[in-house]
Amino acid sequence: MFKKFSAEEVSAQNQVKASVQRKIRQSIADEYPGLEPVLDDLLPKKSPLIVAKCQNHLNLVLVNNVPLFFNIRDGPYMPTLRLLHQYPNIMKKLQVDRGAIKFVLSGANIMCPGLTSPGGSLDEEVGAETPVAIMAEGKQHALAIGFTKMSAKDIKAINKGIGVDNMHYLNDGLWKMERLE
Amino acid sequence: MAEKPQPVRVLYCSICSLPAEYCEFGPDFEKCKPWLIKNAPELYPDLLKEANEKEAEKVSGQLQLFGLSSGGADGATSGQTSSSKQEEVKRLPGGKIKKKERQEVVIEKVVRNKRKCITIVKGLDLFGVKLSDASKKLGKKFATGASVVKGPTEKEQIDVQGDISYDIVEFITDTWPAVISLSIFFSFSCVLHKWCIWKTLKEDFLPLF
Repeated sequence: MFKKFSAEEVSAQNQVKASVQRKIRQSIADEYPGLEPVLDDLLPKKSPLIVAKCQNHLNLVLVNNVPLFFNIRDGPYMPTLRLLHQYPNIMKKLQVDRGAIKFVLSGANIMCPGLTSPGGSLDEEVGAETPVAIMAEGKQHALAIGFTKMSAKDIKAINKGIGVDNMHYLNDGLWKMERLE
Repeated sequence: MAEKPQPVRVLYCSICSLPAEYCEFGPDFEKCKPWLIKNAPELYPDLLKEANEKEAEKVSGQLQLFGLSSGGADGATSGQTSSSKQEEVKRLPGGKIKKKERQEVVIEKVVRNKRKCITIVKGLDLFGVKLSDASKKLGKKFATGASVVKGPTEKEQIDVQGDISYDIVEFITDTWPAVISLSIFFSFSCVLHKWCIWKTLKEDFLPLF
């Protein structure tokens, strides 16, 4: 999704109203309970929250010009990889095998066999349509953020086709955009 | 709060910006290698070995060339070569080059209500101009409202009511000599306009001819 993404695609960035800010905070807190203790540090109540609207109904949540979260249409907020690396345990994790890494890093969606093979691992509780962190065999840090197409059980049972949509991966456009001026 | 989870500090490669462990899948592993050897040797043990062998070869080759005896000097020279490699990499950053904040004033005209407009002056503060003073002066000169407004991303800019783009350049260069007319740009939906450069060129260089 962010394969080709640059500051030019940001069509408008606005400081959002306090009520919208509350809503964003609330939905992030609901989605990632593990993030709650540090949420005040991440999104300080005092400093203005900026939402950048981009093409394809994409929104970026910025604090101090640093993109922290993104969402599509009214979908769930997902952290950027830089943020996820800092707090790795806030999301459910799926692990792909080593062979899949290079495809994921060039933007491919995650196929079921890569998750079910010996190198991969699945969190059984993951349902369909939830944001997940994609880890890799033998690596400590997440390499992508995905949005599941089917639940973990289905992935195991069907074991064919796209299991997780690749939303944001290392070295894509959003990753390269450390700060948005 | 005691149970506050501490943010994990991740080692990012300065060459390709990926976490160090993903360098091997990065855009240019070869370029990252010197950095990896220096900063994260434990992640790629093979790499270190390989590099050491190569360097040893190089050094021994050099020593043979100069007819020196290969002995204790080995370690010292290898250190030197690695440092020179490091410099080379710094000059050619692979991933992206950070944009330096250029000193320039951007004048933007925004149309409001079809026939009314606002002139936005950005970047005057880069020249050490006090924005509140500047807005007062602009308002006085053009007899309109002028205010300092916070831009969408924390950058302060001056909004002047009315279309004053026709002689704002002259005014700015007259009042603040620090602002060179060449560094003033016009922007219509963020496209730098050329006529201003052309105009200032003409003005500046006509007396020369």
